[in-house]
Amino acid sequence: MEEFPQGLQNSKDFSGGDSKKCQRTVPCQGYFAPQRIEEALEILSRYGKEIKIIAGGTDLLVQYYDRLYEINNWLDLKNIKELKEVKINKNQMIIGAMVTHTQLESSEDIKTYYPVLSQAAADIGSPQIRNRGTIGGNIVNASPAGDLLSPLMAYDAQFKLQSNQREMIVPAEEFFIGPKKTILQPNQLLTRIILPLPEEKTYGCWIKIGKRKALAIATIILALVVKMAEDNKTVKDVRTCLGSVAPTPIEIKEVRKKMAGKNFNQLDFAELGQIVEDKISPIDDIRGTREYRKDVAKEIMINALEEIDSARRERNY
Amino acid sequence: MSKLTIGFIINGQKKTIETTTSTRLLDLIRDDLHLTGTKEGCGKGECGACTVIMNGELVASCLILATQSDGAVITTIEGIGDNECLDPVQEAFIETGAVQCGFCTPGMILAAKKMLEENPHPDEEEIKRGISGNLCRCTGYQKIIDAIKLAANRLSSKNGGRSEKDD
Repeated sequence: MEEFPQGLQNSKDFSGGDSKKCQRTVPCQGYFAPQRIEEALEILSRYGKEIKIIAGGTDLLVQYYDRLYEINNWLDLKNIKELKEVKINKNQMIIGAMVTHTQLESSEDIKTYYPVLSQAAADIGSPQIRNRGTIGGNIVNASPAGDLLSPLMAYDAQFKLQSNQREMIVPAEEFFIGPKKTILQPNQLLTRIILPLPEEKTYGCWIKIGKRKALAIATIILALVVKMAEDNKTVKDVRTCLGSVAPTPIEIKEVRKKMAGKNFNQLDFAELGQIVEDKISPIDDIRGTREYRKDVAKEIMINALEEIDSARRERNY
Repeated sequence: MSKLTIGFIINGQKKTIETTTSTRLLDLIRDDLHLTGTKEGCGKGECGACTVIMNGELVASCLILATQSDGAVITTIEGIGDNECLDPVQEAFIETGAVQCGFCTPGMILAAKKMLEENPHPDEEEIKRGISGNLCRCTGYQKIIDAIKLAANRLSSKNGGRSEKDD
């Protein structure tokens, strides 16, 4: 690649160092693009609420469309290479927070182990959005309609949150506390998403209902993941996770109780669909009414169970 | 809002330019560099009129801060052909009548060009997916899809097609 013209990227002082050392003629403030997590955490601890973290920007720049001037300081994570990696470590998949939807969609490992997550990433926005938008941004934005959130919950994801004081790992379920609200503190950075590698006989189904195929904010989302026992008939465990039907992405735990230990052939799909319909609390909004979402939730649960049933029958063990 | 200087390569030319922390890449391209082929439609990443290619990826320049493009290599519609020598995708758009008002065309052509680079023989569904981030309110898309098919055929029969202008 050609040598870059002089810019911020080449300026060490711009990557979060002491601003007094700055040799540049323009003020070294307002925009930081550090290369290491530690530097980012240091900047965060210094600025706290006075700085905005930017990943892909595909939600943030929409949110601040006509008031970008309100943000005085930016912390851009684009140069932190270790946040862009997808790797397997023992029995876990570690996904960096800056991994884009395009990366998720095209990763063979994600496709193999977490097909529901892979499909969810492929269904997001448009090529332009998938190329920039990140998994970490999708999580931190915490939209009840966030496409990746239900699949992540369905695969028992955990999130690594770091500050320059300490780091913690929290289950996805505990991270979301309301529409666009999470437990993330101003001095914390979501750095990694940790997923246990699924057992061999794990099946998944992803259903997103929206107004159109591209660039649709979901009217309703279902991520269903079923773990089968050795015999490929007995249900070992299940996660039924939905989006756009409650203030946060949710799991319908009653389905676990109803399905665990049962022979898949003897399940009453309609009854399970009804449980989903009864346990969600959707609202009326521009994308659909409460009543519509309730009806559709039941139907897509039945469809998902049918799809998993046929995938299960196709596999010969 | 702070002022600062950034540098990048746009359409093959190195540029160093002063900008602010609340400027979008789209504004920098249009207002500061006067490359007005890149359009603003919705400003929210839904219409694709502001599409450019940055570091080899199709992106919406309305959703990128100017500062984020520091050190990047950017191609806008002005960078893929000139009056003497159009890009094969541009030629195909003209020949099939895929242009009406023209507002979506720059973004549409860049999306088509990027898709054909990655997938030289797309089927119709793949073409639709490739331009799914670009809205056109005139043509009904059929002629745009025809144009991309024509460009794909020509590029593959020319064994890679006409050499591109350096960018």
